[in-house]
Amino acid sequence: MRTRAALAAATALAAAIGLAGCSGDSSPLPPGLAKPSASATTGPGSAVDTSCNARASLRPTGALPAPGRMPAGSTMAEIQRRGRLVLGTSQDTLLFSSRNPFTGKVEGFDVDMARLIAAAIFGDPDKIQIKVIGYDKRVSSAVDGSVDIVADTMTANCARWKDVNFSTIYYDAGQKVLVSSDSTAKSIDDLGGKKVCAAVGSTSLDNIGKAASKPQPVGKASFGDCLVAFQQNEVDAISTDDTILAGMAAQDPYAKVVGPKFTEEPYGLAMSPKSPEFTRFVNAVLDKARTDGTWAATYKKWLGAFGPAPQPPKAEYQ
Amino acid sequence: MSTALVDRPAPAAPSPSGRAKLGPIRRAAELRRTSPGRLQLILAALLALGLLTGLVAGLTARSANAGTADLGNRAQPLLVEAEAIYSGLADADTTAAQAFLAGGLEPPALTRRYEADLAQATTALTSAARRTPDGGQSADAVAALSSGVAGYAALVATARADNRQGLPVGSSYLSAASLLNRQTLLPQAQALFGVAQREVDGGYTSARSIWWLLLFTVLLVLTVLALTIAQRYLSRTTHRTFNMPLLAATGLVLLLALGAGSLLINQNLHLHRADVQGSKPAAELAEARILALRERGDEALALAAHGSGSASEADFVSAQSQLTASNGPLTGEYLPNEAITAHKAYLDLHRQVRALDDGGDYDGAVKLAIAADTTKTFDTVTGDIGTALNQRKAEFTGEIDSAGQGLGLLIVVGPLLALIACALVTVGLRARLEEYR
Repeated sequence: MRTRAALAAATALAAAIGLAGCSGDSSPLPPGLAKPSASATTGPGSAVDTSCNARASLRPTGALPAPGRMPAGSTMAEIQRRGRLVLGTSQDTLLFSSRNPFTGKVEGFDVDMARLIAAAIFGDPDKIQIKVIGYDKRVSSAVDGSVDIVADTMTANCARWKDVNFSTIYYDAGQKVLVSSDSTAKSIDDLGGKKVCAAVGSTSLDNIGKAASKPQPVGKASFGDCLVAFQQNEVDAISTDDTILAGMAAQDPYAKVVGPKFTEEPYGLAMSPKSPEFTRFVNAVLDKARTDGTWAATYKKWLGAFGPAPQPPKAEYQ
Repeated sequence: MSTALVDRPAPAAPSPSGRAKLGPIRRAAELRRTSPGRLQLILAALLALGLLTGLVAGLTARSANAGTADLGNRAQPLLVEAEAIYSGLADADTTAAQAFLAGGLEPPALTRRYEADLAQATTALTSAARRTPDGGQSADAVAALSSGVAGYAALVATARADNRQGLPVGSSYLSAASLLNRQTLLPQAQALFGVAQREVDGGYTSARSIWWLLLFTVLLVLTVLALTIAQRYLSRTTHRTFNMPLLAATGLVLLLALGAGSLLINQNLHLHRADVQGSKPAAELAEARILALRERGDEALALAAHGSGSASEADFVSAQSQLTASNGPLTGEYLPNEAITAHKAYLDLHRQVRALDDGGDYDGAVKLAIAADTTKTFDTVTGDIGTALNQRKAEFTGEIDSAGQGLGLLIVVGPLLALIACALVTVGLRARLEEYR
């Protein structure tokens, strides 16, 4: 009995450390930093962290430097010297970053955001190297420097702000549910006890675990794998950001997206906190895209099917 | 047609007291005291030895024959089929991944290759199923593989259908298929290969039937010895120097020893050659092909992972170091030098692929990895290994056929010779016993 009690205490402690150290993201940090536990974040203990304004990023300083002339000593200069911007993203999030089956190229709204950054650094949007990373590697990849920037439908929240810097918000999404077309479910509230899939390491999976109707969260490596599981009847529903779900529904005529947005998911580009000048630079690029119509054009290109481009999310600064 | 023994009054006549109470050993001891008694004992001993030798001759021949047949018809083919299943599945996975990397509609050559791979695996699986007894590890592996291959083919078919319609989810189906292949099917195929290899080793042991052989030799020596002693006794106690039937019986037993000995020695020699020139190099070549296919598969997977393929690359390095180790499977004497040169050339190409990918030129890396030249270089490696493997298989079959020669005949003729010898012994000794009537 004593060992069991000690074990329980140790588990509780580990969970507490997980919560405190991991910053609430399911994405593990590099070894040496705090080790998070995936279950800790999906448990009822992880309430929404409101200790900050997750939408507020670092204010740009001055005008953008001309392409190919990055200030010496900056991360941008280092990227310029390397000759390519390394982008961490996924290859199966249709419309945001997915592999085009015809060309084999990874493309989408997220990829185009990164191409804007590459264009600002090199004057050439093609100087980009795509590195496909798992959903649960988005925070750690930005922190350990294996990628320069992460553009992967990543929600900016306070928990993640503790480990990475986010850009200003470039897209506002919200979580909905995808069910089979003959389902009577109207929202996540009708899915109590049902198996609902999301990618491991996404806030979506955490949110499913927190839903009051108590659905059964099922984690898969990516959202593409969730769609496979849905089509193979392994899960009853998929729940994640509305736009990702729309991309899935477009591939499966026997699926539909239902319900109101039950969360707010503001997307930001994630970078290492060690180089704040890079975050300021990226924010300047995004600002320019908001005002010169590039953002609206990109929206039209990828998401135009859902209606005309709305106003881009307003930039907020700390 | 009555014999002297039967005509005599039964010694164990029902009499409540006296000799009937003596045990058989005591009775045998009693017999030793009289000359006819001694002759009876000698007759009994010789008959017992002769019959036993005949029985063991038959059993030894049967065991050696059955062991050799099992080795040739079941264990070794099962090993070859396990390798065919593995290489078919591994190559199918690699081919599917390459078709995915190519983008667009799968190139027809890759589709054909995938289908041929799958056909190879399923054909080998069907005949492997015939060779595995119910229950046991190999049957479990075959059952798991059969259902797994069906699931795998279904996933790949869905991926291809999705790809034709331009649905990105096709690539997710493909990665689900690949995961099933590499995490479930290939380990099962490898387990089957391991079981088959152990069965081949066990097959050689049972084909050599060493314990039967030993027992048979001991009995032969004892029989000849007993016959010699009996004849010496007879020539001393009677006036005849030679007892012709006993002499003939001795000759027959010696003939049996000579015939069986030469057949069994021949069997062992050929078994040894089948092992050293057939089974062992074939297993090594099979392992070489498995490792080479693992390399090629890892290369494609690392590229498909699009920048997160470090685990696949690590597996490539481990497969490569096993394959090219100083006494690794690629150094076998039966493999032509061209295969080793081609493998070196392939490794060079792989290094270029990695350098391109790591240097940011993903498209260039994919192009080089699935280029016709790279494919040709790699196919030279596996093709040469396959040719060498077929040669070793043929060598094995030839040696096993020679090893089994005459063993079937020995099963019948061995006991028959012993029976004739026993009859001669009976004739020879009964003539002497008659003299005491």
